[in-house]
Amino acid sequence: MAINREPQVFLFLSKILGRNIVGATGETLGRVYDLTAEFVEPYPIVTGVIFSSAQKKNPVVLPWNDVVDMDQTISVSVTSIHDLSTLHLREGEVLLKDALLDKQVVDTDGAKIRRVNDLQFLKTRHGLHLVHVDVGFRGLIRRIGLISVFDAILQGLFDYKLPNHLIPWKFTQPLSSPDLLRLNIAQNRLSQIHPADLADILEELDIKQRSAVFQALDVETAAEALEETDPKIQVSLINDLNSEKASDIIEEMSLSEAADLIGDLPKAKAEGILKEMEKDIADDVKELMAHPEQEAGGMMTTSYLSFRPQTTIREALDKFRREAADVDLVYYVYVTDEEERLLGVISLRDLILADADQKLGDIMDERVVSVKLDDKGDTIAEQFAKYAVTAIPVVDENEIMHGTIIFKNLLEVVAPQLGK
Amino acid sequence: MEKIKIFWKKILQTGLWKLGLFFAFIGPGIITSNVDNDAGGITTYSLAGAQYGLSLIWILIPVTVALIIIQEMCARMGVVSGKGLSDLIRERFGARITFYLMIILLLANLGNTLCEFAGIAASMEIFGVSKYISVPAGAFFVWWLVVKGNYKSVEKVFLVACVFYLSYIVSGFMVKPDWSVISKASITPNLTFDTGMLTMAIGIIGTTIAPWMQFYLQSSIVDKGMKVESYKYARMDVIFGSITVNVVAFFIIMLCAVTLFQNGLKIETAKDAALALAPLAGSHASLLFAFGLLNASLFAASILPLSTAYTICEAFGWESSLNTKFVEAPQFYGLYSLMIFLGAGIILLPGVPLISIMFYSQVINGILLPFVLMFMLFLINDKRVMGDFVNSRVMNVISWGTVIILIGLSVAMVVSAFF
Repeated sequence: MAINREPQVFLFLSKILGRNIVGATGETLGRVYDLTAEFVEPYPIVTGVIFSSAQKKNPVVLPWNDVVDMDQTISVSVTSIHDLSTLHLREGEVLLKDALLDKQVVDTDGAKIRRVNDLQFLKTRHGLHLVHVDVGFRGLIRRIGLISVFDAILQGLFDYKLPNHLIPWKFTQPLSSPDLLRLNIAQNRLSQIHPADLADILEELDIKQRSAVFQALDVETAAEALEETDPKIQVSLINDLNSEKASDIIEEMSLSEAADLIGDLPKAKAEGILKEMEKDIADDVKELMAHPEQEAGGMMTTSYLSFRPQTTIREALDKFRREAADVDLVYYVYVTDEEERLLGVISLRDLILADADQKLGDIMDERVVSVKLDDKGDTIAEQFAKYAVTAIPVVDENEIMHGTIIFKNLLEVVAPQLGK
Repeated sequence: MEKIKIFWKKILQTGLWKLGLFFAFIGPGIITSNVDNDAGGITTYSLAGAQYGLSLIWILIPVTVALIIIQEMCARMGVVSGKGLSDLIRERFGARITFYLMIILLLANLGNTLCEFAGIAASMEIFGVSKYISVPAGAFFVWWLVVKGNYKSVEKVFLVACVFYLSYIVSGFMVKPDWSVISKASITPNLTFDTGMLTMAIGIIGTTIAPWMQFYLQSSIVDKGMKVESYKYARMDVIFGSITVNVVAFFIIMLCAVTLFQNGLKIETAKDAALALAPLAGSHASLLFAFGLLNASLFAASILPLSTAYTICEAFGWESSLNTKFVEAPQFYGLYSLMIFLGAGIILLPGVPLISIMFYSQVINGILLPFVLMFMLFLINDKRVMGDFVNSRVMNVISWGTVIILIGLSVAMVVSAFF
């Protein structure tokens, strides 16, 4: 009586590579060299087996449909390899070993760069699906072929079994080629990572992968990640882009960050980018660039909302709703006269809670704290600490308002000196 | 004032400012080469000079050429691929080969680190400090420098440390040698087939072209984030570094040849060499020699464990950064600390057979080098890694030739070690 074997459900790539392929006549045709897969959602599906044989010089592709059974060997319904074609990848098809095994991927859930030790497939009636990426020590030892030795030692001595460390495919972003980055752009896995973590990943990648990953990001994610990146790396990333794409990204950044970045760029590049930018943003950026980075003028942003004292709360809130999406500082609105002289400040809370028909001039706080354009970081930090605000307006000697410093931007200037 | 301005303008026009650009990219090549003149290197050079006089000094010229050829390939791979050597080996040759290669590299580098701490102990003993004080202090200094300092400042410290190698050149001039004899010896190939001399020649080559250097150089170049356009500066850096290392080696051999060899003094270690120098060349030369040894040992002891930890973590995809906490990068800090702990700890064991440890660490290096060189040649001819920057036909002939000679010598050394 034939033994009814349980079907093998999960399979590792390392266990498939190198297996013999046996044809319909029982003759060995060759050994598995690689698998092709189509990147479909949610899991890539294996489409073919690449194998080399003694009879043909170039590796040939066997369509996965011709695979009859997978046991110690792979049985196929083909009789001769002369019926098979040489490798020609279709759009969206990828060589799995070549593109993934031993290569780096981003674990988008843990926001870390990992190296792929193995790939895990799920075998169903419909085919072989790539479901997990193995990045653990167990996978590495399995690849080396010492897993039984390791298990015996650890089990015998410590009653411990090395666990698998698998990442689900949906949290994996391959990096090995620009094509792979583009394939996944529809799902945009990288944009699920927090910009600060994404910036860390960018900093950790080598120079080529870094610029490939950066260019695969959508404009908004790219801008957010860029804000968090080290200035030197910012410059090299922007230098790799043409002025048009660069200006699109820089426009999405906050004004003060954009000004700092453009100030660090080579002159010709900076001018090219400013030319491509929308005129009003470019003008604001140029104004900020006129101030040294370490002074209030260099830290401030000019992207805030200001109103005249006779404006009603209703009018102010209407404008706020229309424009706040593109404004850097939204937690305060400022009240100024016709010559932009700073008269008072209103916090967002007071603005929302006030009666809609009241005038801004009636509810504003006139004891507004401000700093001068050329004040240094420590002076500004003292003001922040003393008055416990999240932004401080910047004025010149005539009390004319030029911008406002958001606490975060001060922190970027001051933080490197902390703890030293 | 006006004149100075005009002079300044002229300098700018002549393109001398490019020199400044060179200094901006300088670093990896020079640091690597100087770490190469470590305790093991200085010992080998001293012994070569003391035992065979000037007769082996010519070998430094072909060694310089070979060093330039090999390091240039590393630099090119680093700049073009943007990846470290262990990274490339893992991606191209798979997990199994990489695993065994890394195990051997760990052993070889551990042996080298041990030699560095032995060098610290020996040089400080000349200054009258017991090894039970100098070795733990050295280990702590190395650990502190890297873990508590930041890498940029560490690199600057190392660049300054390179200047201290001048102490050997100064000592060399202090003995007022006969330059005509020396220059004749350095261009006259001379090798008799006596086992001792052959072993010494192989030793000089082996200590100058070591496996770990290729990994270290390539990662430092990658860390610099150089682009292909600035590759020529990386090449200059490598060539300049390779020449410096051999100039220093030249002076050590020469110094020992004209003093120790001519007076028929037998030495076994670099410490013997430094002590024996005192009556012959004056106590200043002796102290300078000892100071050079201390600097070299400390310098290499700071870099070797770090480089090993980086290389291995890179190959296996483990977190590796000095900016992370211990729990985030346990393998990295674990390997780093283990190297320092074992390197310094073994030296402090009473009755440890130092000479044979040093010898076997050379043998492990000799086993490793052929594989590393062959992997490098496969990688540098891989169009998918190097694109248009693969070796040209001429370069391939030269580099394969060099590598085959080096492999032959390594095999000869390993075989002779066992028979």
